[in-house]
Amino acid sequence: MQIIENLKVKEKVYIEKLKNGLTVMIIPKEGIKKKYIIWGTRYGSNDSKFIVPGENQVTEVPKGVAHFLEHKMFEQENGRNSLDVLSSLGVNANAFTTNTHTAYLYEATDNFYEALDEFMDYVQHPYFTDENVEKEKGIIGQEIMMYDDYPEWKVYLNALEAMYHTNPVKLDITGTIETISHIDKEILYKCYNTFYNPSNMCLVVCGDFNPDEILKDIEKRLIDNKAEGEIKRIYEQENETVVNPKVESNMEVSIPLFTLGIKCIPPKQKEKVKTHIAIDVLLNLIIGESSNLYQELYKSGVILNMPTFEYEFTDEYAHILISGISRNPDIFFDMINKEIDNYLINGINEQDFERIKKMIYGEYIKEYNDVSNIARIFLTDFMKDVNSFDYIEEITTLDIEYAKQVLRDNFKKEKMVFSVVKAS
Amino acid sequence: MKQGIKLHTINTNKFKTNLIAIFLSTPLIRENVTKNSLLVSVLRRGCEKYRTQEEISKKLEEMYGAEFNCGLDKIGKNHVLKFYIESINDEFLPQNGENMLKQSMDILSEIIFNPLIQDEGFNEEYINQEKENVKQIIEAKKDNKANYAIFRCVEEMYKNKPEGLYKYGYTEDLEEINTKNLYSYYNQLINTCKIDIFISGKLDGIEVEKLVQENENISKLQERSPLFTVNKPEQKNGEKEENEVEEKLDVTQGKLVIGYDVIASKDELENKKFRYVGMLYNAILGGTATSKLFQNVREKESLAYTASSSFSYYTGNVFINAGIEIENFEKANNIIKEQIEDMKKGEFTEEDIKNAKKVIISNIDGISDEQDTEIIYFLGQELSNNNVTLEQYKKYIQDISKNKIEVFAKKIRINTIYFLRN
Repeated sequence: MQIIENLKVKEKVYIEKLKNGLTVMIIPKEGIKKKYIIWGTRYGSNDSKFIVPGENQVTEVPKGVAHFLEHKMFEQENGRNSLDVLSSLGVNANAFTTNTHTAYLYEATDNFYEALDEFMDYVQHPYFTDENVEKEKGIIGQEIMMYDDYPEWKVYLNALEAMYHTNPVKLDITGTIETISHIDKEILYKCYNTFYNPSNMCLVVCGDFNPDEILKDIEKRLIDNKAEGEIKRIYEQENETVVNPKVESNMEVSIPLFTLGIKCIPPKQKEKVKTHIAIDVLLNLIIGESSNLYQELYKSGVILNMPTFEYEFTDEYAHILISGISRNPDIFFDMINKEIDNYLINGINEQDFERIKKMIYGEYIKEYNDVSNIARIFLTDFMKDVNSFDYIEEITTLDIEYAKQVLRDNFKKEKMVFSVVKAS
Repeated sequence: MKQGIKLHTINTNKFKTNLIAIFLSTPLIRENVTKNSLLVSVLRRGCEKYRTQEEISKKLEEMYGAEFNCGLDKIGKNHVLKFYIESINDEFLPQNGENMLKQSMDILSEIIFNPLIQDEGFNEEYINQEKENVKQIIEAKKDNKANYAIFRCVEEMYKNKPEGLYKYGYTEDLEEINTKNLYSYYNQLINTCKIDIFISGKLDGIEVEKLVQENENISKLQERSPLFTVNKPEQKNGEKEENEVEEKLDVTQGKLVIGYDVIASKDELENKKFRYVGMLYNAILGGTATSKLFQNVREKESLAYTASSSFSYYTGNVFINAGIEIENFEKANNIIKEQIEDMKKGEFTEEDIKNAKKVIISNIDGISDEQDTEIIYFLGQELSNNNVTLEQYKKYIQDISKNKIEVFAKKIRINTIYFLRN
């Protein structure tokens, strides 16, 4: 096994790529009672057009299959539902689908190995019938409707729709009631067989484990399977411009919600971590708690609490999102634009820059407090082809000139969209 | 430490951080909820030493992003003002000798106990802005429809009682609060409330007690016979008629909440084990993914995406909530009632009990893996004058027999059915 150690946070990760192509990562945490396992496949809502390894023609499936598949994986041929089996073992099991990956997980304080039997069994054994697929449409339909009631979701999706012309990141992960109506068991099996090959997957465990032993425990529960070739995913060429700089929807909310999106060029492999960190630092400088802008906006009552901000990226797209609530979103929009201009013209204060770096260093360290968080970070970063420890190392050496360059490259006016949801 | 002020230390090497929490507990009454709510917001704006939020933030950022947090909670009949600071343990800092724990204690105690006072009152600008802020928080209670429905059901069940109060207060009460009367309320609160200080982290070789005692702000606090309510369950007579409430808001999914009373005798309530029987009952009914509600309302009938129950020991209630399609109200209501009846008839298996015990015990095992969860658990013990350790807690759960759960199940009466629809 390959071992990577980080001396600052004092943690180690053991990595093994098995013959069948599966990547296993183990982060031992001595003395912690919780054990966490997460098994992810590089298959998310964005992957609806692809070429199956060994085939020539393109396969296109309805939007929402990855999420639908996630729901249906729990159902077993013997009539049992694996989620129930895991629950009855007293472990906390769940699954989720993002734009780029699907993951199955559980957290256990007891019965970890009994649960492992069930867990590895169900992820490797799909069981779809016409009947159980139909039934699921009702449950997912309710889930879609539930999201419809969340203004936070609406303002977010509107921002993505305004940013992207063709990239599927702009679509709802669940699909719509219309698109899921076209899903049948043949489609599910085809997607399962394509994307749930071990070579497209990564399994991460974190907890009080002996790395060699847990690796053996995982290996002996794997069914025979061969690594497959590359799955070619097809995304239409995304235009660099935005679709619509301003979008607005009406919902019953007591105060308007906003999301400011800035469309960026996806970072190159080598620059991913550094760009991510630099953008994090810049966002904190511009609109973080100690920033002049935040203080001004708060004092004047334009915003009532800290907006949240994040930088999302894959190889296909990248964007910055700043979201919050405001009595007057337009003023927020004008003021943040002025502040970005100010940074572009006057540069970055060195003292502020070093202080924010210290803060972000602390944030990275804090992420290692919890086994579930640690495992999820390693899985997410695996999906992005980066090593999680790099963040802790790179933050200490980030220099101000690099940050300035990232500012110029990414915080562009013509790449901004502003989405607002307010009462009619 | 002093009468009414207690230090609790949790020495653990599981974390990269130290967490300090200071809780001010005071009886939950209508007259004070809004003041407490505003007070928490005003204190975090600035103190004598760090006069603005900007200064506080900069100091926290310098401390490797130490995180200050504050909030409010209703715990039984108490209103608890919560203040936290989380900072990196020195061991994980890129350089030595920073003493993060002391720095954290200093800034947290400054914010709570040494506020910015001008002209015998709080800063006027802060008061005015925070009034707006609190007003917004209160008005926003309708934004999350699921939580709103639960709150409304509780409110209907406890009209004019502390349990039914909204923890962030009431907009109409904000008006009469000003810099001076809030400051005099603050002085009264600080001198009379129960104060609990929790420190959790890797504390080997650190004289925690000394660190706290030598803190200027804490050492100047006076002894007190703290004004707070020892939490214990309340006896209910169950004579109340079933109340049905329907409310309309713009929702696509209906939110159904049913509130039940637990009708038990004084003896039963005073039996320590009663609480744990209730927890187990709840887990079987709707607390887990194998529970009756989840299985029958969500899985079998595809009626809902969420269907679960919760048990509130101090108020003596069980709540069921489900997100359903609006036209399915009757159907869902009937299936839920069937589950309650089945529980009464003892129609659950040893297997169900075993599963529920596993879920609860695994949650108990996980408590000490999260710093804030462990602290809140011990605060709950402190406020109810109990001292049940996590090991005892597990044993209580383990020892419960089916018979006890059946007895409990028969004590459940519907109090209010609340439905939020369009």
